[in-house]
Amino acid sequence: MNLRIAGCNFRSAPVDLREKLAFTPELQAKAAAELAARYGCEAAILSTCNRVELFLARPLAPAPVSTELAAEFLAEVHGLPVERIVPHLYSHTDADAVKHLLRVAASLDSLIVGEGQIAGQVKATYEAARTLGTAGPFLNALFPHALRAAKRVRTETGIAHGHVSVSSVAVDYVRQVFDHFDDKTVLVIGAGKMGRLTLKHLQELKPKRILVTNRSPEKAREVAAGCGGTAVPWEQFDDALAEADIALSTTGAGEPIVTAERFAKRVLPKRRAGRTLVVLDIAVPRDFDPTIHDGDRVCLFNIDDLTRIREQTIAARQSHLRPAEAIVAAETKAFLDDWERRRNGPVILQLRSEVDKVRDEVLTPLLAKLNGKLSDAEKDQIAGAFRLFQNKLLHGPIAALQDASKDGDRGSLVDALRKLFRLG
Amino acid sequence: MTLSTLQGVSHTCFGLSYLLALVLELARLRWPGKTLRTAALAAATVGLLTHSAFLLIHHPSPATPYGSLLLLAWVLAIFCLYGAVHHARQAWGIFVLPLVVGLVGLSLALISTGGANDAAIPAWLVGEKFWGAVHGLLLLAAAVGLSVAFLASAMYLVQARRLRTKANPLDLKMLSLERLEAMNRRAVNLAFPLLTAGVLLGMLMLNREPLATLLTPSLKVLGSYGLILVVAMLVYMRYAAHVSGRRLAVWSLLAFALLVGVLMAAHPFAEAPK
Repeated sequence: MNLRIAGCNFRSAPVDLREKLAFTPELQAKAAAELAARYGCEAAILSTCNRVELFLARPLAPAPVSTELAAEFLAEVHGLPVERIVPHLYSHTDADAVKHLLRVAASLDSLIVGEGQIAGQVKATYEAARTLGTAGPFLNALFPHALRAAKRVRTETGIAHGHVSVSSVAVDYVRQVFDHFDDKTVLVIGAGKMGRLTLKHLQELKPKRILVTNRSPEKAREVAAGCGGTAVPWEQFDDALAEADIALSTTGAGEPIVTAERFAKRVLPKRRAGRTLVVLDIAVPRDFDPTIHDGDRVCLFNIDDLTRIREQTIAARQSHLRPAEAIVAAETKAFLDDWERRRNGPVILQLRSEVDKVRDEVLTPLLAKLNGKLSDAEKDQIAGAFRLFQNKLLHGPIAALQDASKDGDRGSLVDALRKLFRLG
Repeated sequence: MTLSTLQGVSHTCFGLSYLLALVLELARLRWPGKTLRTAALAAATVGLLTHSAFLLIHHPSPATPYGSLLLLAWVLAIFCLYGAVHHARQAWGIFVLPLVVGLVGLSLALISTGGANDAAIPAWLVGEKFWGAVHGLLLLAAAVGLSVAFLASAMYLVQARRLRTKANPLDLKMLSLERLEAMNRRAVNLAFPLLTAGVLLGMLMLNREPLATLLTPSLKVLGSYGLILVVAMLVYMRYAAHVSGRRLAVWSLLAFALLVGVLMAAHPFAEAPK
């Protein structure tokens, strides 16, 4: 099939090199078109923060595009010396390459196994190649198959089970406490980067209102403006916390802002009885005294709790690697078998067309010579007999070709057929 | 399926089906997947169908401890299937099925004590007369409400414990505390008036019996009064005292324990089997 995948990923290349080799969407389109034109191949480029890979397929050529040419191309496009790239480059061909793409799409080759983004990125790569016209019959068969296999892996194993970002785990906890959010108040304390990411997740829950408080009123206003919330003066912190259902704390304070004593004396008495407060304390050092957590009225989760769950989830995903790899292996074989069957199509078509031509060369003069002596029905009978003879004659070679494809030993038979029947 | 085939349906058929469904649900905790879920759902459905057939053929009286437990188990089995379909991703069956299996087991245990003897109950109470039927239906609906409150409370306590220990949210997917608390609230709010009305109606009917029966109130009647008090206490604690969800859940468990006791006690109008 002459497929070559050449590239580098987070294992083979340092981040500074990956940054230099990354493709912008514009460059990606230009480069794929250039690859297809220069090497007469189908081409697609996958570029993410963790990997850059070139997919080059030449199903009708005698050999795949070489790794050296792929390296030279990468060096040329990014203006880097080729010797800087080559040591970090890996390369796969044919069946290995098919399996590699399936593993990549199924997120088995990702930094965090089971992450969901990569399948979307593979799909975007394929869509780009299809739009550009650099994806031909082979890539048009391979990429959809890889995406289907990825879906199977995600749905049939627990590889994608759970969340692996701290902010998503935080939201999982919030969902264990609350069912709906249209009557809930979120209080954002501080303006840390991690807090903003978690706030983005909380915003997706569509809470009734968001209050933002910060020692710096400007920062509070800035964060509030960014999330459609209301800035609350730092002096009203206790009142705001008493009103909140979810508190997201991410300040840079050197010591706890809310001690158990302060919470008991200044916050708890102001809260409506029976309401639960979820505190997501993702500040380091912690902003809330952990002893206020009781799992009923106050549920407090700090960065250690969230990180622990994240690590548990990652570890749990490892246990699903074996069944996931088994699906990839089965899907790789299915694709290769299918491709072999499809590949025989043009050869069989060419064979039939050549023999049709020979049959016509014999039959047409014969019928012309007998013109006037035969009825139309008799002419049809003779033509039918020739066709039957031809089909019976070709049945053996075609069946042998299909069998050889199943056994993976097709090449020599195709060559023999080409020579025997003088196919172009 | 002919009627004669259905007549062969026994407690064992549906009891074991529910038990199998429970085992499969527990297995799902270790090996989550569609296959086990479908199998558990199928086993529970078979249980419900055979249970329904059994009730249809034998129509045990709801006035007997045996019949009331079987009917309650049947309603809860429907509740179980409803939840299994609507909350497919949540751990649901592992909470509801033990209750169903337990009630079926208790009803079986009652057979040996003669609690299944319909003849011991006066005809008017088993539904042949209107008010007897209303009394029975009100109490059955209240029992369903209290059972749902019990389930919501059991789930609430497990969920609260998981939150207290900060367990991985994905190890056991459960409804949120807020949802469970709302389920408990609705169930108790429904059960309280039904229970009160049912018991009051029973008291009125009790007046038709000889004085001796009134002077020696049965365990069932006393238990029912106690149950009303506990449920009233639950309502008070929720709306007046605003106690925490955990304490409400514990009181709901207590109410359910009392309910089972009341259901298992002999009916005041029961006559000694002849």
